[in-house]
Amino acid sequence: MTKQLITLNVNGERHEVAIEPHWTLLETVRNHLRLTGSKEGCGTGDCGACSMLVDGRLLTSCLMLGAQADGCQITTVEGLTQNGTLHLVQQAFIEKGGVQCGFCTPGMIMAAKNLLDSNPTPGIDDIREGLAGNLCRCTGYAKIYDSVLAAAEMMKARAER
Amino acid sequence: MAQETITREQEREREYRNVGKPVQRPDGAGKVTGETVYADDIQLPRMLHAKMLGSPYAHARITAIDTVAARQHPGVEAVITAADLPDYKLNASNRRGIIFPQDEVLFHGQPVAAVLASDPHVAEEALGLINVSYEALAPVVDPIEAMKEDSPLVRSALHDVDRSEERGHVTVDVAEKEQSDKPSNIASDMNFKRGDIEAGFAEADCIIEGTWRSGMVHQSYIEPHSTIADYEASGELTVWTSTQAPFYIRDELAQTLGIPENRIRVIATEVGGGFGGKIYLTELLVAALAMVVRRPVKYIMSRREDMLAATPAPFAQVEMKTGMKRDGTLTAVQAKLVYDSGAFPGAPMLPGCLLAGGYYKCDNLDIKGYEVLTNKVSVGALRAPGAHNATFAIESHMDMMAKQLGLDPLEVRLKNAVEEGDPLPSGQPYPRIGLKECLEAIGNSEVWKRRADSARSLDTSGRAGQDASRRRGIALAAGGWMGGLQPASAICVLNSDGTVNVTVGSADITGTNTSFQQIAAEVLNVPLDMVSVTTGDTKTAPYAGMSAGSKTTYTVGRAVKLAAEDMRRQMLEIAARRFEAKPEDLEVADGVIRLNGAEEKNLTFARLGKLSTNFAAPLPAILGSGAITARKMAPGFTVQAADVEVDTETGEVTVLGFALAQDCGFAINPMSVEGQMQGGASQGIGIALSEEMLYDSEGRLLNANLLDYRLPTTRDLPPIEAIIVEVPSEEGPYGARIVGEPSIVAGLAAVGNAVAEATGARVYEGPITPERVLRALGKI
Ligand code: FES
Ligand code: FES
Repeated sequence: MTKQLITLNVNGERHEVAIEPHWTLLETVRNHLRLTGSKEGCGTGDCGACSMLVDGRLLTSCLMLGAQADGCQITTVEGLTQNGTLHLVQQAFIEKGGVQCGFCTPGMIMAAKNLLDSNPTPGIDDIREGLAGNLCRCTGYAKIYDSVLAAAEMMKARAER
Repeated sequence: MAQETITREQEREREYRNVGKPVQRPDGAGKVTGETVYADDIQLPRMLHAKMLGSPYAHARITAIDTVAARQHPGVEAVITAADLPDYKLNASNRRGIIFPQDEVLFHGQPVAAVLASDPHVAEEALGLINVSYEALAPVVDPIEAMKEDSPLVRSALHDVDRSEERGHVTVDVAEKEQSDKPSNIASDMNFKRGDIEAGFAEADCIIEGTWRSGMVHQSYIEPHSTIADYEASGELTVWTSTQAPFYIRDELAQTLGIPENRIRVIATEVGGGFGGKIYLTELLVAALAMVVRRPVKYIMSRREDMLAATPAPFAQVEMKTGMKRDGTLTAVQAKLVYDSGAFPGAPMLPGCLLAGGYYKCDNLDIKGYEVLTNKVSVGALRAPGAHNATFAIESHMDMMAKQLGLDPLEVRLKNAVEEGDPLPSGQPYPRIGLKECLEAIGNSEVWKRRADSARSLDTSGRAGQDASRRRGIALAAGGWMGGLQPASAICVLNSDGTVNVTVGSADITGTNTSFQQIAAEVLNVPLDMVSVTTGDTKTAPYAGMSAGSKTTYTVGRAVKLAAEDMRRQMLEIAARRFEAKPEDLEVADGVIRLNGAEEKNLTFARLGKLSTNFAAPLPAILGSGAITARKMAPGFTVQAADVEVDTETGEVTVLGFALAQDCGFAINPMSVEGQMQGGASQGIGIALSEEMLYDSEGRLLNANLLDYRLPTTRDLPPIEAIIVEVPSEEGPYGARIVGEPSIVAGLAAVGNAVAEATGARVYEGPITPERVLRALGKI
């Protein structure tokens, strides 16, 4: 199989990767860049565990080919932590018990960040709508709602300071 | 026998420092950053990827397998069929006892061959080049049909059924009767009897009969089954696997492969959700492949494979007849429970039978259970296996009888609820339990209070009566679970800086290591961060049973408490010798041991650590150990209330609110206890409304993906209200009892009762889909 050289800008770092045309963005990032934070729960776009931000849009990276992301700016869960400091969404998930087994968490956190970026003061209904593409089997979502509400509060408090 | 109920407030007065308080999980940081390593994140040098070829038939005979083309495919390292496997002890009664079937395939998706390659895509491509010749056999799909004398047989006859895995989930003193005489699809049956059932019906003023069906459901952990195995030149086998049961796997692998247990290392990697479904499944297969190729082998099930060929939870049909007197006294429970076990024995018929007659005092019982084989994937545990199926029946009947007699559903349950000393259907008496307390607690939930409000306004229409086709109903159901029992142990060591390491052998699937940290820190009276807890592998950790049956905190937690107490005692004895005092005169706080009344006489943990670890140190290293056996059950009860709206035009049911009260004995970490309760309840709601594995008449699974098998999403679930009830257990640490499983038990029954409350129509089959609602309403 002939490989194709593409450029991926992942979490602010530029990578040139030789990929095969059928590799998904998820496997390219996980297996070849060795950024294994993003998870594969289904491979068919149904669970959201592989969610990444691609040029600012929340996408299920298991459904996107690596080649389609050539030249794109990609943020994965690893990109949210700055100089060892957790993103407030990450902090809120720990504090409010939004994490159990953790397998949905990277995708859920990307979806939550995406929601808060566009709506900094979401109500429960907005959260239920904004996270509807991400399955969590452990929490029943209750503590995830709490986490997102808390993250919004924390972000507001930070902005006011 | 009066129940001693210690309220939460009274507990708090005892002023625990670390237990009973919400604590963040130390593993949270790794999980929110993506640092945590799950099995699929591990890459080993020279590792090969395995892909499996599954049977397209539910029942067939393999006549030939041609692998030549696949073996020649560029990049393929090996193609393995039954003929290429290493010697192993075949056990035809157990799914895991057959790596690849020799001839007879028993369910759709059963793996028959593997391809190994460094590139998983290459392995996948080569699967298509394997040519298996099958002779199709008649599949047996419906368990009720399968019980008939003239039914074709699911498979050749079985002997010596292995039930060790089931026992991990529920441990009670009962022996099942295996069917041995004439070949039949009924793998086992049982019968619990008490009193005189006919006399019970004769005294009843109200008799209800119903047949209740509940669909086959899948655990649907978001991380599929994931396993890596490596068989080293030294003859040591290492297995990294997403499992709840590392020691159980080790023991099984040792027996099956003939390797001593001390040469097998099972490393339970972080489990991305288990719920009873990740006990022992792919490990033998992957280990065998690694033994053949002498290279590390990784096998990650695709979602489709996981749906087709893991261990989902069974379909069950419960025929029930119950009687009640006008005053609400339950007089008779008669039931026949049929569990569809799939192609191998192991269905949770026993707990189903115990629970069908186990929630209420009743003098007359006749409960029969049947475990029936079919050509479907064999079933396993899903959080309180078998319980929701039985609960659907008895809890619907309680509501129906109450309604017919004009009684309050909560009062009727309180009147009959089992208490300490009451017998289970098996005759074994209940220890202290908290069903009554849960019934009382649910009465105070927001959801149940709304019911009182809506009853006052006598308005059953939804959303403030905007739309007459939307009907609202609030109802409840009770449920319970016995839990499993297994020995456990723990060690606790003092480091040279005075911090403490605790090592256990139990996989941490629910935050149990955080609870152990709290327990050890409580005993030692130190801040939490002075204690760190690790799950070791089967070569380094002290023994623990499987993290299943809700028993991890209940059993391993006791061992951790003993280990910390042992360490504390040793430290006090050393200090007492140094101060020439008695250990009783010493106090320990914040890592310092002091002699009461003599402040200058003190010894820090850090000093003790140095004195017991440095070069030429005077003291031996300080190591506390704790080991227990658990013989007393600590059943967990729950009562759950559902507030639903039914669209009588479309049949759609929307959950507007859901509350559950659950007796946890003592919530060591209330945050994780609530999380367990809400998570289990959400799975109960999924079972109630949308989850069902659908098989066609040929036994092929039709919805092997997460789009067509519908898990609850955020759109489906309002925030679930969790009310912790604490009736202490007799043996658990600080009174803790089983927690993980009861929460799933009552959702189907509660939602079913709420739908009936809303519409006046009963849906006798779960999940309660729009189609079934419309049928019940007579609209289709
Ligand atoms: S892995 Fe991409 S949506 Fe599930
Ligand atoms: S925390 Fe386990 S799937 Fe969400």
